[in-house]
Amino acid sequence: MTLGLDGLPAWSEPFAGDARGGLERGLPLGTMDRQAAFGDSDGSGVRVAIIDSGVERDHPAIGDRLVSSMLVEVDDEDATVTDDATAADVVGHGTACAGIVHAIAPGAELVSVRVLGPNNRAKGIAFAAAIDWVVEQGIGVANLSLSSRSEALAALFHELADRAYFANTLLVCAANNVPGPSFPSLFASVISVAAHDVADPAVWFYNPSPPVEFGAYGVDVDVAWRGGGRIRATGNSFAAPHLAGYAARIRSRHPDATPFEVKAILAATATPVTG
Amino acid sequence: MTEPSQPSPASLELLAAIAARAEAAGRLEPPGGAAVLRSIVEATVVLFDAEAASIALYDAATDRLVFRVAAGAQGQGVVGVSIAPHEGVAGYVFSTGQPIAIMDVAADPRFGASTAEQTGYVPRSILAVPLLDDEASLGVLEILDRRSGEGFALRDVELAGVFARQATVAIRATRLERDTATLLRDGLRALGAGGAVASDEGAIDELVAAATARLAGDDDPVWALADRVARLRAADPGQVTLLAELLDVLIRRAERPRPGRADR
Repeated sequence: MTLGLDGLPAWSEPFAGDARGGLERGLPLGTMDRQAAFGDSDGSGVRVAIIDSGVERDHPAIGDRLVSSMLVEVDDEDATVTDDATAADVVGHGTACAGIVHAIAPGAELVSVRVLGPNNRAKGIAFAAAIDWVVEQGIGVANLSLSSRSEALAALFHELADRAYFANTLLVCAANNVPGPSFPSLFASVISVAAHDVADPAVWFYNPSPPVEFGAYGVDVDVAWRGGGRIRATGNSFAAPHLAGYAARIRSRHPDATPFEVKAILAATATPVTG
Repeated sequence: MTEPSQPSPASLELLAAIAARAEAAGRLEPPGGAAVLRSIVEATVVLFDAEAASIALYDAATDRLVFRVAAGAQGQGVVGVSIAPHEGVAGYVFSTGQPIAIMDVAADPRFGASTAEQTGYVPRSILAVPLLDDEASLGVLEILDRRSGEGFALRDVELAGVFARQATVAIRATRLERDTATLLRDGLRALGAGGAVASDEGAIDELVAAATARLAGDDDPVWALADRVARLRAADPGQVTLLAELLDVLIRRAERPRPGRADR
C-alpha cells in the first residue's frame, strides 16, 4: 500500500539518491565552473531580503549583517511597509533562513521583511506588499519561504514576479509540497527549490522537469533559531536560502548578471549527476 | 396542492425561519466533525509511533488557532489550548502553508515554554503540516516525538501531508453539510420525492433563494455572537441559565422601537 503518495507532487523525489540519474544533462553547461561563477566571492555588495517571520538582529549566526528590519502591516486592503524597531523574530524561522544565507555569503547585507504579525490576517496582501517593496528598493536577491494559494491574487503575484525579474531582483522560493496553486513559487520567473538530504550546503541539483527546478540541502539542517539558539530543521523552506546565498555570491562576482543568467549559472554549476 | 414556485407568504416566512435557525445551529457546531478528525490523529500517532498528534483549527471569531483533537500518550493536555495564529511552529506553518519539521527543540530553553506550561509536555521534535483548502489555510496537523527517538525525515513530511489532506477533506465535507442552502435544498428535494412539493429543480432553487435572502452575511456581528455562545457549552448549567436570562432582557430591549429614530 502506498498511502496515496503517488498522487502527491513530491517535489523532492527527483533529488532522492536512487532517482538522481534522471537529472543527467547532455548540454555543455558544465563548461562553466564554480570558480568562474562565484569563486571566493562572499556576496559583498549584494543585499538579500528575507521575507519571513523577522530576523533576530543579535543572533550570532547573523554576524551583524542585518542592515534593516521592516514590517508589513495590513489595514483592510492596504498594506504598508514600515521600520520594525524591535527587529524580532516571532518564530525563529526567518533567523534560520538568514543564518543559512550568511553562512554561505557572509559579505552580503541582510534585509528582514517581516510579513507575519498579529495584524496580518490578509497574509497574501502582506506578502505581495513585501515583494513590491523589495523590488522598489532594488534588492538583488529575495528569499521567500512562503507562498499564497489565493487564486484571486494569482494575477497580482504573476505581475509582481515578472516585475522583479525585469528589475533584476531574483526571487528564490521554497516549493510548496501541497497540491494546488502556490504563488509565486510555481512561476517560471522565480527560482523554485525543494529539499534534498545530502548533508552538504554546497550540493545542489538542477531538475530539468519543472516546476521545481532546484534541489538544495533541506533535511536535518543545523539552523539558527530565536533566542540566540540553534535547532535541527527539515523543510523546503530551509533549502531555498542555500541557493539564495549562492545567488548572492554570483551577483557579487557578476553584478551585471540578470535573474535569467543567475539561474542559468546555478544550473550550469549544479552538482553533477551520472545516470 | 399548492403551487411550489409561488409559496404563500406564511410558508416562505416559515422557510426563512428554518433557514435562520439552521444557519445559527450550523455555526454552533464545532467545525471539522471532531470524530473524523480524532480518528485521523489516532491513525497518525500509530503510523508515526509518536508521543502525540493533534489538529489545531483557525477560529476566525477569536483570531486564534485552537487545538481541537489530539491522540497519543502525551497528546491530551493540548486540547482546548489556543495560540496566536502567527506565533510558534504551528502558527508559522498555518500562516505560510509550508510544512516544517524541527528537532532538538529542547536545546532552546525558551522554546515552547508557554505551550508546555499549558500542556505539561515539552517535545524534543515537532513535525507540523498545514491543512490547506483550495484558497486558505484551515489549520495545522502537528506530530510530536517519535517514541524511537528518531527525528522526522522528508518522507515523514510528505506522509503527514497525506493525513493533513484527509483532515482537510473531512472538514470541507462537514462544512458543506452545514451550509444552510444545501440543507434546505436537500430537504425540499426529499419532500418533493414524497410528493409534498414539486421536485422541479428550478422551483426548489427559487424557494431556497427566497428563504436564504434575508440571512445575515458573514461579517454580521450576530455570527460573532453565535460563535461565542458555542463556546459556552463548557459552562455549567447555572451559568447558561443566567446568560439566557440576560439575553432575554437584551432581546426585549432590541425589539423595542428605538427612541429618536425613525423605524424603517
